[in-house]
Amino acid sequence: MNEELKKTLLNPIFKGNPITVLVLGICSSLAVTVQLKGACVMALSVIIVTGLSSLVVSLLRNSIPNRVRIIVQLVVVAMMVILVDQVLKAYAYAIDKQLSVYIGLIITNCIVMGRIEAFALGNKPIPSLLDGLANGAGYGMILIIVAFFRELLGSGTLFGFRVLPESYVPNNLVILPPMALILLGCIVWVQRSIQKDLQEK
Amino acid sequence: MNTNSNVYTVIYTTIIVVVAAAILAIAAMALKPMQNANIKAETISQMLTAAGFSSKEDLAKLGNDQILAMYSQNVKTAFLIDKEGNQIGELKTEVNDIELQDNLKQENKNIAAGDPKLPVYVFEKDGAEINVIPVYGAGLWGPIWGYIAFNADCSQIVGAYFDHESETPGLGAKIKDEPWFREQFKGERVNFSKPDDSFDIVKGGAPKDDASAVDAITGATMTCNGLDAALDTWFKAYMPFLEKKANYKQEG
Repeated sequence: MNEELKKTLLNPIFKGNPITVLVLGICSSLAVTVQLKGACVMALSVIIVTGLSSLVVSLLRNSIPNRVRIIVQLVVVAMMVILVDQVLKAYAYAIDKQLSVYIGLIITNCIVMGRIEAFALGNKPIPSLLDGLANGAGYGMILIIVAFFRELLGSGTLFGFRVLPESYVPNNLVILPPMALILLGCIVWVQRSIQKDLQEK
Repeated sequence: MNTNSNVYTVIYTTIIVVVAAAILAIAAMALKPMQNANIKAETISQMLTAAGFSSKEDLAKLGNDQILAMYSQNVKTAFLIDKEGNQIGELKTEVNDIELQDNLKQENKNIAAGDPKLPVYVFEKDGAEINVIPVYGAGLWGPIWGYIAFNADCSQIVGAYFDHESETPGLGAKIKDEPWFREQFKGERVNFSKPDDSFDIVKGGAPKDDASAVDAITGATMTCNGLDAALDTWFKAYMPFLEKKANYKQEG
């Protein structure tokens, strides 16, 4: 694999993470991180949607009329999301039920449109596919980290299994979205203290 | 080619939309049978859980076929009743041809209109009958529904299972996710003397001496209110049937 592709693939995971650096997809990362299992399936679904949408838009990129490009992108993204939802309903019904509305809300996830606008419109299909997959993965990683702490502290469980003793009183504040934002802030803090060049002067 | 001309834009968007619609239509049609089978198995596993044959977790590990077989083996009869509680139709229970009355949304409208066809699923467990009925109503964000299992003379609830479409995870969704919530329904009774308010879900804890009330879930007031209303509405619709069962057993 050449250097360029490697960078495309690895950059979104840490150095250019869509949530902590680009600050995209904050809204859904607050909503679906109450439980770890849901966060994992959500992460996987977003990886598939970002990857395939970027690929398709990149294939169409030279033919899309500039004035309606957002609408065309939206059609592609919405189609992918509905396909993922339908496939989950057919093959993984239990998980689809658990995620309920959030699968449909991937359409509104800023990362998908953000990456299409910023990358897929100006790059070849293969790099675009990788960029989409990698950004989905970067998003998923943060989702899983936040969900880990929220489920652990908010319910005392991980993947539904009790890990903290019964005597632990679940912290209901952690279940609520504001606490997810604070956790997210902590992750951004940690990342910026490791990666000094992100700090504003 | 000028990709910014009006003609090109109109033709391009039309083609994109038609292609996307075609792909989605094909996918929906191809996946529909599997989705319907999943929904049917899910509905049946909710009934089996309410009736106490298995737990939802164990049923989730079984394939759809096994769940249908389990239903067919344990169900004694299934029928439809009208608003007076008279039997007006049978539902098939053979394993290859299981009929369910699972369009609860429509029945909910029919109850309001006064012309429902309500299903009763009669299971046999350890020689005793268990009558399972559905309930349906509005939660905070979307529909909520469930199955309530009664003992042979419908005097006591022996189990319940609830589900929802889009309640808040960790709050309203607990009607499904928290086993303690549905466990409380065991041993409760429908209050026949108050047909309009025959069951209560009480915030802050149900009084111990009230046999027709259970505790609400903290942080899920709207969902619990919705479920309370759903139980009241459906129990009222089923009340002639439930009372008939109770009287018949007493006289007999």
